[in-house]
Amino acid sequence: MLEVQNLTKVYPDGTVALKDVSFTVEPGEFLIIIGLSGSGKSTLLRCINRLIDPTEGRILWDGVDVTAAEGEDLRHIRRQIGMVFQQFNLVKRSSVLTNVLAGRLGYAPTGPSLVHRFSAADRELAAKAMARVGIADQARKAARELSGGQQQRVGIARALMQQPRMILADEPVASLDPVLAHSILGHLEQLNREDRITILCSLHYLDLVQRYASRVIGLRAGRLVWRGTDEDIRRMNDAEFKEIYGEEAERTNAGLVRGQAS
Amino acid sequence: MKKKTGIPAPELPSLVPPWAAALASVAVPGLGQALARSVWRGVLILASVLSVTAMFVWRVRLIGYLQSTPGAMLAKAMELRPGFTVIVLAGTALVWLANVRDAWLRASRRRGGPLVFALILVSFFALGWQISEIDPASLVTDFPQAMEPLGKVVWPWEAAVTREPILEEAGASIRVPTQAGGGPAPDPVEEGKPRLVANPSSGELSRIDENNNLVPGTTITLTGTGFRPGLPVELWWRDPLRNAFQLRKGGNYLSVVPDAGGSFTTDVMMPYSLGPVGEGRDEPHRVEARQTVARAAARASEALRLVVERIIETIIMGMMATLFGIILAIPVSFLAARNIMSASPLTLGIYYLTRTILNIVRAIEPLIWALIAVVWVGLGPFAGIVALTIHSVAALGKLYSEAIEGIDPGPIEAIQATGATRLQNIMYAVVPQMISPFVSFSIYRWDVNVRMSTVIGLVGGGGVGFILVQYIRLLDYRAAGIAVWFIAVTVAVLDYVSAEIRRRFQ
Repeated sequence: MLEVQNLTKVYPDGTVALKDVSFTVEPGEFLIIIGLSGSGKSTLLRCINRLIDPTEGRILWDGVDVTAAEGEDLRHIRRQIGMVFQQFNLVKRSSVLTNVLAGRLGYAPTGPSLVHRFSAADRELAAKAMARVGIADQARKAARELSGGQQQRVGIARALMQQPRMILADEPVASLDPVLAHSILGHLEQLNREDRITILCSLHYLDLVQRYASRVIGLRAGRLVWRGTDEDIRRMNDAEFKEIYGEEAERTNAGLVRGQAS
Repeated sequence: MKKKTGIPAPELPSLVPPWAAALASVAVPGLGQALARSVWRGVLILASVLSVTAMFVWRVRLIGYLQSTPGAMLAKAMELRPGFTVIVLAGTALVWLANVRDAWLRASRRRGGPLVFALILVSFFALGWQISEIDPASLVTDFPQAMEPLGKVVWPWEAAVTREPILEEAGASIRVPTQAGGGPAPDPVEEGKPRLVANPSSGELSRIDENNNLVPGTTITLTGTGFRPGLPVELWWRDPLRNAFQLRKGGNYLSVVPDAGGSFTTDVMMPYSLGPVGEGRDEPHRVEARQTVARAAARASEALRLVVERIIETIIMGMMATLFGIILAIPVSFLAARNIMSASPLTLGIYYLTRTILNIVRAIEPLIWALIAVVWVGLGPFAGIVALTIHSVAALGKLYSEAIEGIDPGPIEAIQATGATRLQNIMYAVVPQMISPFVSFSIYRWDVNVRMSTVIGLVGGGGVGFILVQYIRLLDYRAAGIAVWFIAVTVAVLDYVSAEIRRRFQ
């Protein structure tokens, strides 16, 4: 489904964010990327939908080279891939509904969408997406009035509007407390299982990785240093985890509330 | 690292022993500090002492300008302004002593403390008091004179309405010079109208002879009939150029009260005429009797109407200047936003250039721009609009560019990730973020512009300030008061409205 080949990204200031990274993603996977902050996780995810242009290497999406796509072609690839962000990246002044509908912009005709006109089908889709993540009653509120957890659900609903085949989640729970983290990842897991949406997610906490991953890759200083299945990661102890992760690694100690959250 | 200020204690040992530093500062203030390696402190002290001395000499020369020697001038200053002279002289002497002590302390690697600078400040403020002619006593002594005009300004509303008089009038023609047949006949009798008869109906005007003495004119007996009994009648003179003025007798305006039958008889002397006499005009002079029989209903006075018209003009000026300012500031603000212009050295150069120009334009007050605009496009509201627009572009350009710099790139990235086009991205991620600061800055600027346009009229830029300054120069304090009231109310209302709109738009 997704094939990353020898991906390298060097920023104009000379920082090497990714160095020769290669891996593949199969449909239906919940692939978690671990690594220190600054290890290149965000850069990697942003290269996949070309929010950042890679310096070298190729990314194949269904055999089509994303790195060579431009204009209309690139937008058609992007709209199949949803994205969820650490800082939610909602337009805070706009309503929840507008934020969610914005997820449909890749499909909506440009003219009407500029004056906030969407088809009845799109509105229906928005209502379903909001109901699915439990924010239907917040639709009219401004996004900034919502709590962090609710804002991230708006982010997920926005991604859902794209009817995506894959969702890129860049540290989706790093700004949230452990209970909310499970709730948000629970939603992603549900989408992964029920809708067969492939999830590509970067995470910080070992126990969350162990709980949700179907496969794990580890990045360190821009290089892919570790690959493992869910079994491998479940067997991993804190010492090994810290070896990839460095001293920043931590547990959420959310084991106690895991049952309640999911 | 070298310290720029002389305030911290020196880090390197003094070049000279303390006694030498002190001695050097006796000769030249600050020299000892400089030798003790507190160069900036020394320069500051020397510059202060020199400027205090120079200003003191200037003021003493002004006070004692009739004296010929410096000593006599100083004595005169001592006599006329003892407080000032003593404080500055004593202050300077103390500064000198403190400076010597300071040099000694510095050279012995101790802090000098702020004493010398405190004393310098005292001398400066004593000079400042004298130079700016501060005279608190005048606040009290001149107050009684100011009471009357200030009272009119504080409560001007008597001048806000007028009640036009309803007049009964009659006139009689008078010929100059004396005619053999007596002069023109009285006006024909009209039923129900008063009538005035002059006898004789020709004569000589009063005039000033070559020795500046008044040569009295012919005395005319006026007989009025058909007036309302009991109400005073004013007597007016109208020359052939149709200038009318009220006749006087013994310095007072002439006024007669008709008897019970509505008749009166009075003598008037033909007045001294300001107009060119006997310039070939064949029209007669007229003497007129005017009786105010009633007053019309109250209506807005001319002053009130003018002020209202000009206040509207002022608000419109502010609106137009704000509109033009917004339109021009939007493109400029993008050039002045660092995050947009940091792509290449060229754009960064444009950014710095734009910022510099905006800062300079903003530093020049709208009043100064108005003076320039008046020269450019002539007196009137357009000059004011030009001035306010120029200043608004600079002010709004800076505020807008800061709003653009403060934009959160997260939502832009998120919308981009959905496969949206550039245009959709601008409408969904950029515009919603910009709209709040744009609206609140623009409303605030409108508020500022209206406030400014009340002042800009003072230099000929149109608006209410234009007539305010006219009324003040004509000493028409009531009309000026009306203008001041309207300005105050307009500014207060606008201030409130603008704050309210901005609050709701947060």
